[in-house]
Amino acid sequence: MVKKLTRFERARIIGARALQLSMGAKPLVNVPESFDPIDIATLELKKGLIPLDIRK
Amino acid sequence: MQDTKRIMGVIEKKGVDFPKSLVNEIVDATKRHDLTGKELGKLLDEIKKAYERAKVEDGEAVGTVAAQSVGEPGTQMTMRTFHYAGVAELNVTLGLPRLIEIVDARKKISTPTMAIYFQEDYRTDEEFIRKIANKIGKITMKDILKDFNINYAEMNVVVELDDDKINDKRLEFDDIIKKIEKAFKRVQINKNILSFEPPTPNIRELRLLADKVRDLQISGVKNIGKVVISKEGEEWVIHTEGSNLGAVLKMKGIDRIRTTTNDIYEIERVLGIEAARNAIIKEAQSTMDEQGLTVDVRHIMLVADMMTADGSVKSIGRHGVSGEKASVLARASFEETGKHLLRASIRGEIDHLSGIIENIIIGQPIPLGTGSVGVIMKPRK
Repeated sequence: MVKKLTRFERARIIGARALQLSMGAKPLVNVPESFDPIDIATLELKKGLIPLDIRK
Repeated sequence: MQDTKRIMGVIEKKGVDFPKSLVNEIVDATKRHDLTGKELGKLLDEIKKAYERAKVEDGEAVGTVAAQSVGEPGTQMTMRTFHYAGVAELNVTLGLPRLIEIVDARKKISTPTMAIYFQEDYRTDEEFIRKIANKIGKITMKDILKDFNINYAEMNVVVELDDDKINDKRLEFDDIIKKIEKAFKRVQINKNILSFEPPTPNIRELRLLADKVRDLQISGVKNIGKVVISKEGEEWVIHTEGSNLGAVLKMKGIDRIRTTTNDIYEIERVLGIEAARNAIIKEAQSTMDEQGLTVDVRHIMLVADMMTADGSVKSIGRHGVSGEKASVLARASFEETGKHLLRASIRGEIDHLSGIIENIIIGQPIPLGTGSVGVIMKPRK
């Protein structure tokens, strides 16, 4: 994925991943001080580790 | 010139696709500030960044934003004007009524008007312009009369033509006579004195004849009434009441590029749909500007695109864009709900639920913004 994500795509991916995390998925990053699934998902996205892709 | 080419080359090498106006601006700025190649490169990088940032993203609700951006200043317009304003002796519809007219794509607008420009060789030639103006503008018999009498004893209408007025309007005496002879069978011409006789000698016929004589059109283009000649800077320009683009563009000496009308439907007919699109943009924006309101062109361009995308000018609303939507539910939610639902059920229409309104109605996420993005699992590497 070379192209930058739009703000909608970013929100959608973080949302989907946060839902997975909240239902018990194992985080792919070292969990920071915050346990909020959205914070974790954001961090994962920043590192490019989220196992999700967008479909137009 | 060479400079321009060089700058264009650098821009091209950067691999960005700027619109023409932006490229021109960059070229101007580069020349004005005498930028070196390196500086130009840096400038282009910055511009590219700003340009990318200004683009709308996929899934953005551009229609809603455009509607609000045009609608809000529209409320201000209602408060300030709801009537006509005289511009250069001609009455032109302005403000909200004009904007409604544009968006409704009326075939008969209330005040059609033209701005006629001339080719370089003619634009400062006052004599030529006056001649053309009289050819375009409507002149009737009553404009060139010195004396007008209805003689009830002799049962005729006696008229004297005014040489001064004819000369002033740059008309040819012989042409006038020809026109008169063509229009009236029973006429005697004695130099400037003309006497008309009614077909049957009674007072009713005589009075009717008098009106007919007075209103006989001597010259002018169809659908055009009054003309006003004015000087804009160095050149002469003709503004008209009424409009006939097709006929005027055929005349000699006319600048076919700048001459225009405010009748969008006529522009579509004469010049085509792309010209109509430009006309909608221009008219809508100048109407807003006139009121001291600024709306970003891109909002207006979206409206113009929606109206013209089909190849003919459609109105916004029941008879146009909204009334021709593919989805039954979208149409039914706008106006004439019963009619659309009934027809759809009779014809067995299928709604593919691809639009926004349909999905709101049935309570699903809408295909806009975040809702327009689908998520899939990435295959494990």
